[in-house]
Amino acid sequence: MGRSGPLLSGLYRSADRENFEHLGPHHIRTFSLAYDPSDSARLYVALLDGVLRTPDRGKTFRIVTSWDMTEAKSISVDRNRPEHVYAGIPDGIAVSHDRGQTWQRMNAGIRRAYTEAILVDRTAAGRVLAGTEKGLYLTEDGARTWRLVHGTEKVTHSLRQSPHDPKVFFAATGGDGALWSSDRGLTWTRLAGVSTERTLHNGEFDPRDARRLVYCGWGVGVQVSEDGGKTWLDRTAGLPKREVWKVAIDPDLPDRIYAAPYMEPLFASDDFGRTWRKLQWEKANVFDLVFVPRK
Amino acid sequence: MNTPSRVGAFFPVPLLTRWATTLVSLLLFAVVTAGLEAQPSFTAPPPATAPVGDPALRRDQYLARRMEALRWRAAMATPGDPTKLGLAEIAAKLALREDAAACSERLIELMKKPAADMFWMFPVTCISYLGRDQLSGEAKAAIREAWRTYYPLRGDTENHWVMYYTTMHLMAQLWPGEGEDRWFNGKTSAEISAESRAWLLHWMELATTIGQGEYDCTHYLGEYSIPMLFLATWAQDPEMRQRGKMMLDWVIADFAVETLNGIYIGSHARTDDTTVFEKWNALSSYFAWQLLGNCPPQASYGGWGIYFATVADHYELPEVIYRIGTDRSGAYTHVERKRTRHRWRNSDVRNAPVYKTSYVTKDYALGSDQGGLLQPIQQHSWDLTWAVPDPRGVHNTIFSVQPFYGAEELMMYFTEMPDYMPAAVTFQGKPTYIAESKLLGGSPYEQIFQQEDTLISLSDVPASAPWKQVNGFFSKDLALIEEDASGWIFAQGGSAYIAYRPLAGYEWRPLEKGGKRLLSPHAKNGTLLQAAAANEFKTWDAFKAAIRGLPLEITLTPTPRVTFTTLRGKKIEVAYGAAPRVDGRVVDYAGQWKLFAGPYLNGAVGGRILTMTHGRLKRVLDFNTLTITDAVLP
Repeated sequence: MGRSGPLLSGLYRSADRENFEHLGPHHIRTFSLAYDPSDSARLYVALLDGVLRTPDRGKTFRIVTSWDMTEAKSISVDRNRPEHVYAGIPDGIAVSHDRGQTWQRMNAGIRRAYTEAILVDRTAAGRVLAGTEKGLYLTEDGARTWRLVHGTEKVTHSLRQSPHDPKVFFAATGGDGALWSSDRGLTWTRLAGVSTERTLHNGEFDPRDARRLVYCGWGVGVQVSEDGGKTWLDRTAGLPKREVWKVAIDPDLPDRIYAAPYMEPLFASDDFGRTWRKLQWEKANVFDLVFVPRK
Repeated sequence: MNTPSRVGAFFPVPLLTRWATTLVSLLLFAVVTAGLEAQPSFTAPPPATAPVGDPALRRDQYLARRMEALRWRAAMATPGDPTKLGLAEIAAKLALREDAAACSERLIELMKKPAADMFWMFPVTCISYLGRDQLSGEAKAAIREAWRTYYPLRGDTENHWVMYYTTMHLMAQLWPGEGEDRWFNGKTSAEISAESRAWLLHWMELATTIGQGEYDCTHYLGEYSIPMLFLATWAQDPEMRQRGKMMLDWVIADFAVETLNGIYIGSHARTDDTTVFEKWNALSSYFAWQLLGNCPPQASYGGWGIYFATVADHYELPEVIYRIGTDRSGAYTHVERKRTRHRWRNSDVRNAPVYKTSYVTKDYALGSDQGGLLQPIQQHSWDLTWAVPDPRGVHNTIFSVQPFYGAEELMMYFTEMPDYMPAAVTFQGKPTYIAESKLLGGSPYEQIFQQEDTLISLSDVPASAPWKQVNGFFSKDLALIEEDASGWIFAQGGSAYIAYRPLAGYEWRPLEKGGKRLLSPHAKNGTLLQAAAANEFKTWDAFKAAIRGLPLEITLTPTPRVTFTTLRGKKIEVAYGAAPRVDGRVVDYAGQWKLFAGPYLNGAVGGRILTMTHGRLKRVLDFNTLTITDAVLP
């Protein structure tokens, strides 16, 4: 391992969308974050060492997993049972029933259990979708049993549930394009017009406009849709490269999206990707962008 | 900008580093050029390779070598220049029990800027224990504070974890009963102690039942043996102390049996672009020098070697291991089972078996694995290494590879996103990873079989692969290279005669570091190599004639296939995609390859027992009972 340079890696927070402050440990493999819906000061962070939990937005923290559950890639909290936390790890799925204090592995039924994406359905306690190496799996009993709902050739990298219609899910994969479900994740179809030749990193719904979607990936740049995914427009012009690690849509600011090209500054756009400006850092790799309620 | 009304905190999770893509650990060699001339054994004539019979003399020489390393490193500290007093110098000085005040003062400064994760943890652990009765209270407090505020990463591979959990175990022992607010990871001393112990036991269980994952590494040997020496020396729990001692013996015995005059031979899970040619130039040579005394140490004692030296007086190499490492009076075949490192994707098994074969004589050694993608990036699947009087600067090896790289390989062994990894690996110090001329790394399209000093490598490369060719390494230090009309290439390295048969047409390319590359640009391809000692033949021509006379059939389509009768009279039949046959009998890797098997080391897969024998000496490491049993056979 190794690190150099004056800047800190790990978790950053911005309260004004312009300035960022570093929180918690300097950690170059910090991948994702979720908050406890019952107390948004409690954050769970997926990182190389496992799962980090902070009760106070990073003032204090603790690694809550042990040596046998590490390299967590994604994390999701059950809105209907917020003491239940699910983490996608390279050899399965880790589940906590006590807000991260203790963990158990619960991936029975999943073949090739590498799990990059995990998402709890906000409409039902214990209903969780997992994006694994070979497909999308669903549990409806809090991870006791899993069943394959859609097979894929490559890893599913992100899963999102529509903020407008909870039956709708959107998945980005490493070689199967973008997948869409309109029936709570039971069946999936591939979105037309999305490349299956490239690795997609993530896709997002616009919380303010049900017709708007965005996805990004390696060599893909930033692609936006304003018709619910029927057609896509390339909005990469203005970014320094087409290798984009993460893209996010701001839930508060109209037309504001963020893009994180690989080893470049974090960029922001206030016209839904038509023009871009540098927002922060000079040479960074932003693994995830997450919005957390102020209270 | 208006203050957001609904969502107030925005959490990007960035990576901010110039080494943005550190997938694989880097060895941080603290080589200081100015000091090299004063390093006695590095510049002295090579030591004798004959075993030292007198145990007392052997021990004296071992301790003298330790002192040489410590004194050299301690002397690198320049009075009045604190920048020349780093962690390694402090460790050396504390081991020599000198300059504790200066070391303390400097440590207070060094603890303000910790870096390098587990590569920081184990030097600081070493210093903390050596300095228990030497360092000032302020220095100890600075160390303690660093372990609260600096967050070292756990790492992503076996050598990282051995360093990490060993040091966590020892530091939790040093500071027992402390709360979660006193440690960087928010855990208590008791939790850290329990977790690190559990991991170490898990690792030992794997290593003693199905083998190490990062097996037989030319550099990472240090990352396993140094933590085990620390555990054997400093663990208060008698079980952990015993386990450390036994694992140290285990790791060193595993190394010693596959050395030729101290040089680590054959197949390695990991080596690097320098050592793959200059076999001696590795941290492992420090250990051969320190423990066996039969080769020069690497420059700066391999960098990390100094930490072994600090407490090497607490370890006495068992004589049976010493004999195994130094006696090359008779040729032997040694086989062993290892495992791949953890496979996360693109595999149905977590750790696939690795089947290794080594044939060792006093003049040369041939070693191999079965081919395939067994490790990411730095796998070295086979080579022939010949004995040389002085290995420094000498490329005393010959081998071939089917060059390959790809995101699929990296995804298998790393939990990263796929596309950026190949370029990132190259950027971070593995410059040949995506080079067509590469001579390091495994290939999924390569299948290798070895019988004594004969080796056949077959490759059948699909159109989708990056390169459809074989690269052969022909050293600048080969005394002879003759391309024969028969299709054989005859060569001599030291006292080894070598017959190398490319299975398809080839051309030559110069190599920057000397020697030349045999480039055979054909997808269906392979290499046949037969070695022999020069003294087996009256003349060079007699050797060539003997090779030409050996029955050989080569077929490349539809799949490569070779039938060859070796110099030792064995009929080998190999076909790509099929199990090899020797004298008509199918080779059963799973059934025949024990954890260790040969004249010196033996152990069953799943057994947790290693039996070491040499002559009348016998030592048994039994992890079932945590016992070491020594015997002298009647």
